[in-house]
Amino acid sequence: MSSTSEKGTIGLKIERDLLLEGLQSATRIASSKTSITALSGVQLAAGPEGIELRATDLELSLRLPLAGEVTSPGEVVLPARLFTDVVRALPAGQVTLKARASQQDVEITSGSATFDLKTLRAEDFPTLPQSSGDSVVVLPAEVLDATIRRVERAASTDPSRPVLTGVLVQAEAGTLRMVATDSYRLSVKETKLETPLTNGFEANVPARALQEAVRLAKGTKGDPAADGEEALAKGSVRIAVQENQIVFDLDGTVLASRLIDGQFPKYKELIPDEFDHELKFNSAELSDVVRRISLLAQRTKPLTLSFEKGSLTISAETPDIGEARESIPINYDGELLEIGFNPDYLRDGIESAGDEEIVLKLLTANRPGLIESGSEGGFLYLIMPIRLGS
Amino acid sequence: MSTGADERADFRSGRIENLNRTIAHLDLDAFFVSVELQRRPELKGLPVIVSGTGPRSVVTTASYEARKFGVGSAMPTAKALRLCPEAVVVPPDGPAYKRMSATVMDLIRHHVPQVEQAGLDEAYADLTGMLAPSAAMRRVVHDIRTETGLHASVGIGPNRLVAKVASDAEKPDGFVFLSQEQARMRFADASTRLLPGVGPKTRERLERLQIYTVDDLSEASVQALTDEFGSRQGPWLRSRARFEDDTPVQTDREAVSESRETTFSVDVEGIGELREKMAPLVLELCNALETHGHRGRTVGIKIRYSDFETHTRARTLEHSVSDRETVGRIARQLLDEFQPDRPVRLLGVRVAGFSGAKEKPREQLSLPFG
Repeated sequence: MSSTSEKGTIGLKIERDLLLEGLQSATRIASSKTSITALSGVQLAAGPEGIELRATDLELSLRLPLAGEVTSPGEVVLPARLFTDVVRALPAGQVTLKARASQQDVEITSGSATFDLKTLRAEDFPTLPQSSGDSVVVLPAEVLDATIRRVERAASTDPSRPVLTGVLVQAEAGTLRMVATDSYRLSVKETKLETPLTNGFEANVPARALQEAVRLAKGTKGDPAADGEEALAKGSVRIAVQENQIVFDLDGTVLASRLIDGQFPKYKELIPDEFDHELKFNSAELSDVVRRISLLAQRTKPLTLSFEKGSLTISAETPDIGEARESIPINYDGELLEIGFNPDYLRDGIESAGDEEIVLKLLTANRPGLIESGSEGGFLYLIMPIRLGS
Repeated sequence: MSTGADERADFRSGRIENLNRTIAHLDLDAFFVSVELQRRPELKGLPVIVSGTGPRSVVTTASYEARKFGVGSAMPTAKALRLCPEAVVVPPDGPAYKRMSATVMDLIRHHVPQVEQAGLDEAYADLTGMLAPSAAMRRVVHDIRTETGLHASVGIGPNRLVAKVASDAEKPDGFVFLSQEQARMRFADASTRLLPGVGPKTRERLERLQIYTVDDLSEASVQALTDEFGSRQGPWLRSRARFEDDTPVQTDREAVSESRETTFSVDVEGIGELREKMAPLVLELCNALETHGHRGRTVGIKIRYSDFETHTRARTLEHSVSDRETVGRIARQLLDEFQPDRPVRLLGVRVAGFSGAKEKPREQLSLPFG
């Protein structure tokens, strides 16, 4: 479609709600900080195959088909945020877009309102990856969703450690596994697949790409009646991994992302085989206590977990601010054990377990602790303590 | 509990106090040389340079007699000797200067409570609220003279910037008290180089914008400055030329950073070699951090090119660190990202943003992978 289209011209009619929904997705992908102005825009392309909305920040790219009437084929790039704001402000109903090449703008009309938006340089907008047929794995969006949610919080946000900003995705036979770590904690979630895969893949994928794929998949209105065997069940995601990119095809909407270079840490050997203590908790109860006491663990101060016979006391103290403590009865029968954790990391682990019951496994004050989901299985959260001063 | 009216009154008095800020800057005249002259009175009246003897040594201080030949601080000694061949070169005696410096600082603190030592030979004092700030500083100068034999120049103004420039205006034995307006008038025709923070490179870039004097800069368009220097430095440069400065005098002398740097005997070029040179600095720094029980959240590097242009780069982390692996990894990344494109004369590594020293050492442990 793009090769034959003429740049700077376009004409189409489209429902406002559809266009807005597409623009909201595209605006999330468009670059917010860039020296190439065109990347802060969305490209609208119209051709014989229909209308497509495109956006990229050079790491992530999106092609989103839109239903509408093409009156004149072509491509234009419009500033993403402004375009979205304008469309949001329009009343429901049909919107007409028409490029005026001489003015280098696009006229947007709806009812009696008219907007003329200047276009951005279409030449600077790159050609985006297409969906491809290579080594395709099809996964239900809900499986993808359920898996990424359990690990995403452990991914690093530190740009100086790019490898750790990704989520390691392993899809093989009957299992989808995702692993994320920022070196202070590590999450592993395995989800069983109802339909085993014939192809598999392993890739280090930017966490944002997975989150975006799930978000788009949930919004996809699939049409299972189409194309016989090739048809996808509603909310399925076709995933193709190529050399340095991963392409998600969500019923025609194509999200592509660069893969993260570098070796993901060999995480299995970091998980201790045996622990000295194994304690069961009601997740909601423990999470509430942690949340309360964390209020007094400010400025990166730790939560202190003191285990003694029959009880756990969780406490926190911030100099010049105050302190807090709360005890809960537990089935602990060992020596006094005091271990410190970053309050956010601990809460992330309890909440990510996503189960009514969790099991907390511990060795000593300076060795990693492990949180597992109580009944469901398939979830591990390794958390490194904060060394408590003597 | 205070009423609304009280709070307003507090607020107002706070503002009035602020408007009347009085800051002094005291700078010892030709400090190192003066210390040497006390020990070797026979050198009095001669051009004296305090400097090392290596091929790359620079002048740390020159006596006023040597300055008449154009010799200045930070000038390569070889060049200084070409300008003034009869100069007497005295090797620096760090410990002696430190002892003398401590004596001087004590004398200043004796007369004014709020003192920030800014170097061995200079200090800022916050005189706000004192009834006779000038008289206090004259007593300080007098005491320094009688107790140590050293001469000092003093600048007093509404902020650090005015005080600093004023102390330099009539050296040696200067004593200059200026308001912000007086400073603007007095230095209107001076080169922009007069302003601390404007180096030779910045001056060059300013001249390209047809900005030559302090006055030119104070009236320059913010837009033009922002286009050339960015949104932080651009407006900042103009405010310097207007002698605006609200940096407080920091009396807290607790260590907040530690660094190690080295000047190469031969300039180093190429990222590989620089990385190699960085490793021992990191090691030494981290050992010192451990010894002092310090951990910091900011890791930085310093690079000085052979033309003395100096750059620093830093990254602030989520947790404070002191271990060799992390400090080394981040320092290397900063070096890689900086991409030195010329021969490097000096390389430094720094860890800053120490967490409160009085608190218990608490360390977020990491999983053991690279």
